[in-house]
Amino acid sequence: MTETKISPILTRHLPLVLIGLLMAFPFYWMVTSGLKTNDEIWQFPPTFWPESPQWGNFLEAWEAAPFWRYMANSIGVAGAIAIIQVINSAMMAYALTHMKFRLKGLLTALILLGYMVPNTAVYLPSYIVLSKLHLLDSYAGMILSNCVSVFSIFLIRQAFLQVSHELVEAGHIDGASHGRILGSILVPLTRSSFAVLVLITFIEQYNNYFWPMLITKSPDLQLVSAGLRSFFVEGGAYGLKWPLIMAASSFTIMPLLLLFLLTQRTIMQSVNLSAGVNKG
Amino acid sequence: MIPLTMFWLIPLGYAFYLSFTEWDFMSPDKLFVGMANYAELADNPAFYKALRVTLLFTAGSVLPTLIGGLGFALLLNSKLRFSGIYRTLIFSPWVTPTVAVAIVWSWIFEPEVGLANNVLRFFGSEGVGWLGDPSWALIGILIVTCWKSVGWAMVFYLVALRNVPRDLLEAAAIDGAGSLRRFTYVTVPLISPTTFFLTIVLIIQSLQAYDQINVMTQGGPSGSTRTLLYMYYQSAFEAFNIGEASSVAVVLVIGCVLLSMVSFAVSRSSVHYH
Repeated sequence: MTETKISPILTRHLPLVLIGLLMAFPFYWMVTSGLKTNDEIWQFPPTFWPESPQWGNFLEAWEAAPFWRYMANSIGVAGAIAIIQVINSAMMAYALTHMKFRLKGLLTALILLGYMVPNTAVYLPSYIVLSKLHLLDSYAGMILSNCVSVFSIFLIRQAFLQVSHELVEAGHIDGASHGRILGSILVPLTRSSFAVLVLITFIEQYNNYFWPMLITKSPDLQLVSAGLRSFFVEGGAYGLKWPLIMAASSFTIMPLLLLFLLTQRTIMQSVNLSAGVNKG
Repeated sequence: MIPLTMFWLIPLGYAFYLSFTEWDFMSPDKLFVGMANYAELADNPAFYKALRVTLLFTAGSVLPTLIGGLGFALLLNSKLRFSGIYRTLIFSPWVTPTVAVAIVWSWIFEPEVGLANNVLRFFGSEGVGWLGDPSWALIGILIVTCWKSVGWAMVFYLVALRNVPRDLLEAAAIDGAGSLRRFTYVTVPLISPTTFFLTIVLIIQSLQAYDQINVMTQGGPSGSTRTLLYMYYQSAFEAFNIGEASSVAVVLVIGCVLLSMVSFAVSRSSVHYH
């Protein structure tokens, strides 16, 4: 578009500032509501900045439920899943792109199909599989059942497809094993895809709610979303302790917002990569 | 490969099998009942209601997300100061846990002093019951859903817009096409692969939406926000009616596959790859 010279301030910045504020406002509202007293939060009309910020709310909320435990669970489980998924997807993608074997076409087709089927369909049977393995209600169960993702395989497959076959052939001729080719040729060449994968998987798993909640019963194993939700329900949710609930929401969100601010370049890059996925 | 088989392929087949049985999860044997679960589903008014809610939810979340995403991307496209900041602000909801933001939004939708009704009252309306009102609850949930995903769609569109060749737009301008015509006849067709991709992914996401519904309404009031997925969850893990739940899941999967096939057919005729 060339004729933006008229007045970019009016035509672009103004709407963008408004949109930006609108999008960010719930976050602002969350933090400031967390700083209000119970009376003030129910006050009409609402105050946009608390009269006397109650920083103690954050401490009180932090101590009201084992949030450190929830967050540690989430970070640990999400980290483990991210690492395992990377290894898994790298091997799968390697097999799909640079190895020759029977049924390869069928396998690729199955994965393509898997990309379209909502994983809802497998919740119940996966639950039964886990219970047969006696892995319900354990870290191992949470990690194991999430260690494969069709999306990750896709993402890495896409990256590997762009590495030329000649390089891999050259590796073979030099007598390198499959593992070595993967480790010292393919992975270094596709570093950025792996960085994206780790970040996206970590964020997704940290936020994961439905599945972990289904397969865990003991409060000690709860991830942060489930923990926050039970705090929301138990803590006299629908009415009494809104400031504490807002404070708790704020600090569960913070690690992710921070991670996002530090790595947004990489995260945005995921779009370039996964936009390529559908052309495969 | 083993985990893929164990948590993906086998379960998928197993779900299909379970949908032909009657089982309560506890008893040792499953009763094979053939198509009975599907027949029951076909007679169940709750199923049609859930289907309707699912379709409304899908249309109501996918369309605004696509249009909003494209609109924001158009505003941000071209060199602009602070565009990084705007992009970050618009994208950030996508990163945060749905459960946490859904809790914040349920406070915003609080009928007495919630922000949403305060804004409405400012414009002279009386305000609405939001999550407690069957005719507004779904809209409340849709607002949260769109708020969360619009930035994500925007980033895809930004990439797509950047790839629209300048000389094509300039050629159209020389031929006398105004900016609206250039947009509809040059830009829109050129970004159609992105639209197509986003449509499919967003539809799949909306069929799987659970977190915000669970936090904000639990499918209520009076079933007005109960989607097929939520019905599945309730019959499987609250009522332990495994057969019924599995048949709902199979319907969902078939719907998804059909939808993808339809969109592929559509894409063949209207999506342009360059």
